[in-house]
This record gives sequence, C-alpha cells and structure tokens, in this order.
Amino acid sequence: MKKTFLGLALALASGLSTAAVSNEPEQNWDEIVKQANGQTVYFNAWGGSQEINDYVRWAGRQLQSQYGISLKHVKVADIAETTQRLLAEKAAGKHQGGSVDLVWINGENFRSMKHSNLLYGPFTQQLPNWQYVDTRLPIDEDFTEPTAGLEAPWGVGQLVFIHDKETLNNPPKNFAELLSLARAFPGKVSYPQPPEFHGSSFLKAALLELTDEPDSLYTAIDSQTQRQRFEQVTAPLWHYLDQLHPVAWQQGKRFPSGTSETIQLLDDQQLLLAITFNPNAANAAIENGNLVDTAQTYAFEQGALSNIHFLAIPWNAQAKEGALVTINFLMSPEAQARKADAKIWGDPSVLKPESLANSGAQGFSLFKSIPEPHPSWLTAIELEWQKRYGS
Amino acid sequence: MIHLFFIFALLLCFLPLLPGMVGLLLPSLSWIPTLGFDSVSISAFYDVATWPNLSASIALSLSTGLGSTVLALFFTYTILKRYWGTSRWLKLERTLSPMLAMPHVAFAIGFSLLFSPTGWVFRLIGALGISDVAGIDLIQNNLIQDNYGIGLMLALAIKETPFLIIMSIPILKQLNVEQLSKVSASLGYSHLETWRKVIIPQWLPKLRLPLFAVAAYGLSVVDIALILGPTRPATLSVLVWQWFNDPDLQQLPRAAAGASLLLFITAASLGLIRLVEWLSFKHQRGWITKGAKAVKNAKRNPIRHLALYSPFIAIPVLIVPLLFVWSFAHRWRFPDLLPSRYSERFWLQELPTLTDLISTSLLLAFVSSALALILVIACLEYRQKFQRALPAWLIAIPLVTPQLSLLFGIQIVTYIIPGQHYWLWVSWSHLIFVFPYMYLALDGAWRSYDVRLDQCSRSLGLTAWQTWWRVKRAQVQPAIIFGLAIGISVSLAQYLPTQMLGAGRISTLTTEAVALASGQDRRVMAIYGLLQGILPFIFFTLAIVANRLSYRWRHYRQYSLQNTHISNKSKEYTHG
Repeated sequence: MKKTFLGLALALASGLSTAAVSNEPEQNWDEIVKQANGQTVYFNAWGGSQEINDYVRWAGRQLQSQYGISLKHVKVADIAETTQRLLAEKAAGKHQGGSVDLVWINGENFRSMKHSNLLYGPFTQQLPNWQYVDTRLPIDEDFTEPTAGLEAPWGVGQLVFIHDKETLNNPPKNFAELLSLARAFPGKVSYPQPPEFHGSSFLKAALLELTDEPDSLYTAIDSQTQRQRFEQVTAPLWHYLDQLHPVAWQQGKRFPSGTSETIQLLDDQQLLLAITFNPNAANAAIENGNLVDTAQTYAFEQGALSNIHFLAIPWNAQAKEGALVTINFLMSPEAQARKADAKIWGDPSVLKPESLANSGAQGFSLFKSIPEPHPSWLTAIELEWQKRYGS
Repeated sequence: MIHLFFIFALLLCFLPLLPGMVGLLLPSLSWIPTLGFDSVSISAFYDVATWPNLSASIALSLSTGLGSTVLALFFTYTILKRYWGTSRWLKLERTLSPMLAMPHVAFAIGFSLLFSPTGWVFRLIGALGISDVAGIDLIQNNLIQDNYGIGLMLALAIKETPFLIIMSIPILKQLNVEQLSKVSASLGYSHLETWRKVIIPQWLPKLRLPLFAVAAYGLSVVDIALILGPTRPATLSVLVWQWFNDPDLQQLPRAAAGASLLLFITAASLGLIRLVEWLSFKHQRGWITKGAKAVKNAKRNPIRHLALYSPFIAIPVLIVPLLFVWSFAHRWRFPDLLPSRYSERFWLQELPTLTDLISTSLLLAFVSSALALILVIACLEYRQKFQRALPAWLIAIPLVTPQLSLLFGIQIVTYIIPGQHYWLWVSWSHLIFVFPYMYLALDGAWRSYDVRLDQCSRSLGLTAWQTWWRVKRAQVQPAIIFGLAIGISVSLAQYLPTQMLGAGRISTLTTEAVALASGQDRRVMAIYGLLQGILPFIFFTLAIVANRLSYRWRHYRQYSLQNTHISNKSKEYTHG
C-alpha cells in the first residue's frame, strides 16, 4: 500500500519537471511510411454520428490496403474525455506508449492541450498533402489560438440554420428577425442550452451581430477583472435573450440538448429552425430519413460563424508514424472529396478547390464566414448565461 | 484457505479504492502539480459553493434520489404485501426479470421515446382525439426533462422497484412469511397488521444494503439524468459530470471538489435513511408490540389485482416493441403512429461490429462475475465461521462513491505500471463494481441460513465440504443463480470503468451505446438499447428457468420418494 501511495505521489510530482514536446529530428517521408506499416493507430474521435463513423470505417479500409495501417476508431462521447486521459497519463509520467495516437479536436480542447504541452509537433509541414491545403482558410489559427503546426486541418464547420421550405418559406435573415418570428409563433424557436457547443456558438453569433463593439471580441477578456468592459460589450445580448426566452420553445424554461435534438424537434414540427455546424447537414439528414425533403440549410446575412476542425497527435503517442500517415491520407484529395459528399458526410473540404476538382469531386461554395472570437469570451459568456438563466 | 480468499477479496475489491479516494481528494484540494497547482487550498470548494443555483441542483438531486427510493420502497412493500404467497406471485416473479434486466440507459431511452412531448404515448393520445382533455397538456410537457425532475424520479422508482422486490425474495423466504402469517392470524392480526407489525420490522433491516444502493444510485446517477432529468438547473451529479468534462483543465479542482460534495451528500443521505429507520422502530416499538386491533376490517383492499404491478409490466412491454420499430424506421415523423418508411440499413450498418462487441461484453461479464461470486461466497462463509464480516460501509463505498471520481485516481495508478494491460484493468474494475451488488444479492440468503442445519448435517457424518454442497448449496442456490445474473447485468452496464481504464480501446455494447447516444439518432439508439437489453434478459431468464427446474427436480424426487414409501406401506396393509 505504501508503495502505491509513494508511486502516486512521485507520479504527481514528476509531472512538474518534465519537458513535454519531444523534438525528434525530421524524418524522411518514405522512412515514415515504411515505419508506419504494420502499426495500429488509435483514433480518438467523437462517435455520435453514424455518417462520420461510417466514413472513418472507410478510411480504415483504405489505410489498411494502401499503407498496412490498422485504424481503430475510439468513439468518445466528448473529446474532453481524451484531454482528461492525456492529462492523467502525463500526471503519471507516461511519456511513451500512450493510449491515444490521434485526436480530432479544435477550440477549447486544443487550447487546453497546447497549454498543457500534450501535443506532438510541429509536424504539419512535413506532410506531402500539405501542398493542397487551401491557405486562404484560417488554418493557422484555431479560435484565435495559433496552431503552430501542432494540428492539421481536417474540415470546416459553419454555424448555419436549417428550415423547412414548406412550413417556413421566408426564414429570418438576422437575429432581429428571429425575435420577430418567435413573437409571431410563440414556442417555435430555441437554441441548444449552453455550454453545449452549438448553444454557446449561437450566443457568440448573436453577440457579434448585436454588440456595438464586435472587434473587442477578438482580444482576450477576463470577466473578473474587466467586469465593466464585459458588461458593456455583452449588454445587448442579455437584453435580446430576455425578450426571446418568454416566446421561445417551452417559454425558455427548457432548451434542446444539442444540434441533433433541434433537428429532431424541427422534424417533430416543434421548432421552425434547427442549428448545425455542418453546412450540408440538411442533405445528410434527408438522406438518413431524419428530415423532410424540403429542408435546407442557410446562413444569416452577417455570415456564418466559421471554424476549422483539426487532427493532432499526443506527445506520448505509440504510433506517431502511423498517425502522420493517417493524417496525410485524411488530407488527400481522394479522402477530402469523399468527406465532402453530402450523401456520405458533407463536411466541407480544407483543400484548394482546384485540387479537389482534379480528383473528380464537386467542390461547393461555403457561406460567407465570420471568424471565431477569442476563447476567453466563450468561457465568460457561458458563465454569465448560467448565472442569468441557469434556473 | 478461507482466510486467503477473504484477504484476496479485500485486496482485489477494496484496495483500489484507496488510490481512488486519494486521487479524488488531492485534486479537490487543488493539488495537481502537473497543472501548476502545487499548493493546497480550498478555493475549488469556494468555486463550487458560489456556482449559481448550486442549492437548487442539490435540492433536485435529493428530491429525485431520495424521492425515487421512498417511492420504490413503497411500491415494493405494497406489491409484496398483496401478492406474496398468492397464486399470482409466480406469474409476477416471472415478469420482474425483464424489468430488472433492462439496463438503465436502454430503459431511459425507451421511457423518453414513450413519454416525451412527441413520444408514442402522446401520438396515441393525439390519434384518439383526446389530447384536449384537461390535464393532458400538463402531463405532456412535464414528464421528460421537467424542471422538478418528476419524470426522472418516476423512472428511477419504476426501474428500482423490481430490484428491491428481487432482493426481498430470499429475505421473505427465510422469514417464512406463511408461518408468520398463520401465527399472527391465530393471534387475531389482520393481513395488513401482520405485514405492518410482524413482517416489516424483520424485512426492512435486512433490505438495508439494497436500499442504500438504490438511494446512492439515484443520488449520483448521470446517464439517466442526462436523458430524463431536468436541465435548468441539472442535478448535482450531472453538474459534476459537466465540470469533469470541461476542456479547461484549470477547472479540474472544481470538478474534484464537486465530486467530493456529491460523495458527502450521498453519505449524509444514507445516514439520514438509517436514522429514520432507527427512530421509527424505536418510537413505534410500543405500537408494534401492542398486538392486534380489536375491531377488524374484514374487507380486503378493493384495488383490482392488476392495477398494482401493471406499470412495472406495461412499460417494458411497450418499450421493447417501440425500440424494435424505431430500429427499423427510416422515416417516422410526429405525429404519425407508425413509421412512413422502413429500412434495415441501420442494422446492416452496425452488424459487422456487433459480434465483436457482444463477445467482448460477455467475456468481461463472465470473468468479473465468476471471480466476484467466488470472493463473495468466501467472504460470507468467513463471516459465518469467524463472525467477522466485511463492514457495511466498506461494501457501500463502491456503490455510493460517484464512479467518475474514484476512477480518476485509479486511472493514474494504472499509468505508473508500464505496459498496456487494458484488459486486466477493465476486468478488475468491473469486479470492483460487480462485487458489492453480488454481495447484496447473496447476503440475505446467507444471513437467514439456519446454521443448525450445518450442525445437524455434520452430526450425521457429512464432511464440511459435503455439508456445504449437499445441504447449504441447495438452500442458497436460487440466490447464487440470481446473484450471477445480477453480476452479469451489472458488468454489462458498466460504462465509465470500461471507457476510462480501457482507454477506449475496449468497446462493449454499452460504451458503443453511450457514444452513439450522444448523436441522438433514435434508430441507432434503439438498436443498441434493444441489444443492451437482450443480453441481460437472456441471463435472467436462464436464472429463472434454472431455479424453477432445480426446484421441480427436488420436489419431483421428494414426491416420488414419498410415493414409493406410501405404496410400500399400502402393500404392507394389503399383505397384513
């Protein structure tokens, strides 16, 4: 028993002195591909979508036949579980042979992992398929946090709405019209409850439109010490929500749990609008029988809050070479074109349209995009929402 | 030998709790050097205390957790009183297992598909054209995720009642209710008085541990509360779960402090239950010993027979086909009563992975339950022999401590050991959580086993092993078989231990179901809900069949022995 205690204490303490990012000499790509052969790559990624899981299965088959890599999808309900796991491994001084080889992240989780030195890299420049990446996209920043080559872009998310042309032919084009709609049809409008990802994003999008100082949102805020600035910038948002909630779904006493529930409620004809980060979500949902054929996605006039989701390798990954080859494959025109197919997943590509066109796939245009505010605003807004409307 | 097993049980089932506790307490005191928290402080508790609406969350946890416990106990008592020893009992006992076997997540999914505002029940009500009847509107909007947690409380109570009933079976058998009733009746007690004054005081103390488990589960449940519970605010356990999942690692001390608070509240609630039990027996002693009332109310309860336990049958009876239909629905829009388009594509999509998932789930369940069974029997025998039992609080720890917090500490210890032994850790962790449930399942049978049978058998010349096998095993076998079924179903339902200690590399039906439930596709949820329910159901059915067969076999033997005896005698008569 004493040994266990000692071991635990040592492990917790040893975390203090470790340098996290390993700086391996840059290897030749052919060498990496050779070493990757026969490796098993454990890919920790959100497992809540059948379309995505199916796509990952397809990628696994391709990797097996092309590179001899065995890809295992570790389905997590929330990628924060993986952040916690990596932290625990670090706490125990497990700097090699970790349990995770590849993660699908962005935003808060990336920031957290980066600042806790949980990531391997920089590695993105050595990937052969890096040349196809559309550098006009904001791929070197993740929610204003510099990616520093620690994560490679995989796809694009845009906060858009879904409506059914049959029941709502003329959907609102901004937040003011959304409020009028809610007033005209009480109980038919809502948004996922923060801190759920889509709910918080809805608040950010609303704040960007409503506030008088949108630029302020792109610098860090400390809601404790900069109380006055926070209140000044966000006051219009709370005023707006105070008006919206009484006419919202369930009189704003309850909120949907996430994007899937809004889609479900749209189909159940309880809501007029659903919310999603996948600009092709309506097509995929129709294909799967979740929505009527007349459903479609659209963005507000101001544009769609946009971010990129990324792939990264933990510092203690066992199969780093396999992970690099996997990322490179997932960024290939072939894999990206398939991912963008609305019947399969519909997630927009991060490659230049011309590289996609070469592989015979149809590129499609994104909605006008608004970049994500600094992550500190997210935390501050979520906390304030909780205070005001938490019960 | 038995000493060795006892020590093994302690080492295997309880030692890991220590690093688990340390790993909970240190972070809650803000001591996580890796994150730069290297001085002890209670600021995390301050963060928790100032969280908006914390008291409302605590109140909700208490009302749903304790409320469901009281309700379940009341249901259990009412049903037992009414049906124990009657001809309907066997029928009822058979219907219990589907309820018990259905995993909580599957039950919650089914419950919400039935009772959500667009659920099947309200589709039916709409189709019947009675949705305008006063009150239906109110019910429609207040059963799933309602602000007072009423739906959650009801679902928990309904789900836990069969567990309490099954836990009561060996206790009542051993109390020999029939004999008690006859004696009490001869002393002038009515049926009701017999139950209130004679049976409850003996039954309830023996049911204490299962009751604690139900209360602790209700207070700290996360998965059902996520599906059915209130969201503004959520119950404390859900709140802590959200804190634990906060990607900002700087918030980890707050999560650990929240988990400690949850632990404290759970412990205090169990203490409260014990206190209430003690006080009521103490103060009612006079009433209990006063004897029968002079005036009798001869009329039996006029409630119709079916009414009492029908919800416990009707809900699973509705849930299973509903899940089945959903799993084949391609398009099923509200308010249609049936899907407009069917498709088997969701089954086909999942089929390739199912065999793997099922065999992994079963292997884990068998290993952990078999090991737990051996250790539990060893502990119970040790108690009988040396009068030294595992203290109730020790058994209760794995049941009352929120899994999340315990596992965080255990996880850290597994990382210290080099290599990748995920299978070992996962089956071990299953053992930790299966052990106490199985202990509860067997405890009653051992407690009420009449030791004089042992003495008698030994005096007739049987060895200790023979006595155990031929006399005691025959008595406790029903409990053992049920215990195994319970152990298997507990193991099958484990989500967090499998996910955390297996690094997600070991997938079972349950981890897959929870991962997929986060996507909320009703069809896929239905598939996994069905499969998750079918496996334990098979084992409970097997347990019942096995028990009935062995019962019949014994009776048959006795009966035939008697017959030969009688016919011999009659022969003697004729010859005489």
